[in-house]
Amino acid sequence: MFAAATGWLEKSSADIDALNVFPVPDGDTGTNMLLTMRSTIEEAYRAPDRSAAAVAQAMAKGALMGARGNSGVILSQILRGLAQNLAAKESFNAADLASALQESSVMAYKGISNPVEGTMLTVIKDVAKAVAAEVASNGRDLVSVMEAAVNAAGESVANTPNLLEVLREAGVVDAGGQGLHTILDGALRYLRGEMEQMRFRKPQIIITDLHATKLPQMIAADEVPYGYCTEFLLKGEKLDTDKIKKKLEKKGESLIVVGDDSAARIHIHTLEPGDIIAYASSLGTLHQVSIRNMDEQHQDYLEMQKAKGPAVDTAIVAVVAGEGLADVFTSLGVTAIVPGGQTMNPSTKDLLQAVEGVASDKVIILPNNKNIIATASQVQSLTEKKIEVVPTTTIPQGVAALLAFDYEADLEANISIMARAISAIKTVEICRAVRSAKLGDLQIRKKQPIGFLDGDLVAVGESALEVLNKMLSKLDLNKIEVITIYYGDDTKSEEAEQVASDIRNRYPQLQIEVVKGGQPHYNYIISIE
Amino acid sequence: MSVKVVTDSVADLPPEVVQELGITVIPLNVRFGQKVYRDGIDLTAEQFYRELTSSKVFPVTSVPSPATFATAYEKLAGETDEILVIMLSSTLSATYEVAVQSIGLMKHKCRVEVIDSRSAVMAQGFLVIHAARAAAAGATMEELIEMVRRDIPRVDLRAAFDTLEYLRRGGRIGAAQALLGAALKINPIITMKNGLVEPVARTRSRKKAIEQLYKFIASYKKIEELAVEEAACPEDADSLTDRLGGLFPKERIYRTKTTPVIGAHTGPGLLLVAVMGDK
Repeated sequence: MFAAATGWLEKSSADIDALNVFPVPDGDTGTNMLLTMRSTIEEAYRAPDRSAAAVAQAMAKGALMGARGNSGVILSQILRGLAQNLAAKESFNAADLASALQESSVMAYKGISNPVEGTMLTVIKDVAKAVAAEVASNGRDLVSVMEAAVNAAGESVANTPNLLEVLREAGVVDAGGQGLHTILDGALRYLRGEMEQMRFRKPQIIITDLHATKLPQMIAADEVPYGYCTEFLLKGEKLDTDKIKKKLEKKGESLIVVGDDSAARIHIHTLEPGDIIAYASSLGTLHQVSIRNMDEQHQDYLEMQKAKGPAVDTAIVAVVAGEGLADVFTSLGVTAIVPGGQTMNPSTKDLLQAVEGVASDKVIILPNNKNIIATASQVQSLTEKKIEVVPTTTIPQGVAALLAFDYEADLEANISIMARAISAIKTVEICRAVRSAKLGDLQIRKKQPIGFLDGDLVAVGESALEVLNKMLSKLDLNKIEVITIYYGDDTKSEEAEQVASDIRNRYPQLQIEVVKGGQPHYNYIISIE
Repeated sequence: MSVKVVTDSVADLPPEVVQELGITVIPLNVRFGQKVYRDGIDLTAEQFYRELTSSKVFPVTSVPSPATFATAYEKLAGETDEILVIMLSSTLSATYEVAVQSIGLMKHKCRVEVIDSRSAVMAQGFLVIHAARAAAAGATMEELIEMVRRDIPRVDLRAAFDTLEYLRRGGRIGAAQALLGAALKINPIITMKNGLVEPVARTRSRKKAIEQLYKFIASYKKIEELAVEEAACPEDADSLTDRLGGLFPKERIYRTKTTPVIGAHTGPGLLLVAVMGDK
């Protein structure tokens, strides 16, 4: 059951890493919990017999030996609580589990010198409470008790941002709590016999409905450096963990001392790791000593966060309508999307909010519509940040500008590079005429497909394909290499593929790509470059 | 006694250059499933790319053993008392570490200096070629070290990838991971900066990507050395070499295939230009 839970945890450890902002935003909580669980399971298989007491004892030992990081140590305390409570038991029932989890919760709090709510501690406490209630009202069924545990864990995790400011700012739930939820969920799925499904699925990370008020980089930057993360296993005789805890309390932060009189795991963030080691080695032998410079760890974390977006100090805000197009812009490095476009222009305030919401002091706005450029230009006077508007009038121009963004260049250089990229793009937009009209040589009936080339109405036809072909025939195709077709919300993918294959047959030298843009209004937005 | 120069197979030196300048090349290893090959010795670039595109197993690379280095040092120690070792970037591989550690395994007394090129492929290769030429002309160890250090910032490269999947899987993608996951087809351009893989640009077609490589070389005021390397895309490399012939004597352009160890991390379709010179 716990092995299944570990497997389940493994699948989401990276997601949990990404949540990690407290106590140190080093992005390793998921990994630490996973390594702790692995050690736990390895030891469980070495249990002398199959009794609940022996297995739980072995797991507690394995967890203590292999505990890594804050979260791993708390996890080991939870398992130790289980083991102590099940000490004399051959097997366990729902009531035993409830009382064991109660013990886990107590042990978890005991191991930490300065317990903080809104973390794994709160989650295990809530779980223990819910399980006790479930046993009291419904009794004996182990599965229903685990269900109660998983539900309580889920609710408790979702509530962590309300208890802990730093989580609220980051708009995430507590990573350790999430890890605990995943482990319990894995165990429940095992009890329900869902092993097969687990192979193909991945645990869900609980999402908070609070929005991040700060991006991860900013949270990390707010924290001060903390010296060295010092961690080791102390083995000896007649160790007094309370005394050790007392002795080390003033030596640093995030102190954890857990274990028994023969082995104790100690974790502390301290400026003087030497003192800690010297003291501990006077009590017994030291094992698995790890001293990491947290400034470096912190730098690595910042790098990890930075690596997520291409523009480190320049953010790009783009005005885009349609889910598919939003994905395209985001995947190419846009920091924030403001929904909007033809017939739904965003306000200056919308744009200002987006600009203020990004972490960078320098922001490039891609309006992607003729009627939004002026609005975007007003943002500069309303913010302290340095704003540049690259005057993109269509979606393909926006994509081209974004792709041209040069990682090595500064803001000014990028503005001119992006502006140049726009001029190399031709945009075709096809939609249905809203009314009948006569424009120059063009006779247009209501609802007939009409085509715009870079904003000018130039073609009308019976079908989108006919309009597109009329427009392509007027272009110098020798200079064209790539055609990207973004089809709209009201357009079927089969029709878009049909249009694409027709163009492919006609112009086999071109690279044609079809993307579901999901935009309103335009059936097709086509980029020609 | 002149200083002897040692490098690794990642420098992509053509065999005739190795022979002419008396350079010792230490091969890294490539493993396909259970089969282990010494880079460039048991496995040529042609065989490798055929296997890479057909094999279902993903190739894995590994550093040369300390014994490989020690044997090579020992052999050279019979001919000289000073050895200069120029290795691929220590940020990409532990080969540099092994080269340093292996000095301790030597029985002979011989001075060995190891330099981290902070680079790879022929950008590293040019450092080696220049050092070997100067060594043959009688430069001292101090002069050579000084020269290589001066040359390191003068080599550069730009690589056009067909896919970043191999780079990602091999764990060498670095900051270029920003280029992953694009919802449009992208032909990325990548470089190495101080030993680290860095993104340069995203282009929308192979042709545009190759155009960027050309423009990069055209931006040089003075070109001393130039190489065009490819992984299983000889036509692209040939036509680029022809074009570059307008900027630099074509017969002096090294037109090579990247070694299997590099190919294992880039995948087929890699086209790169390496240059030594001044912008």
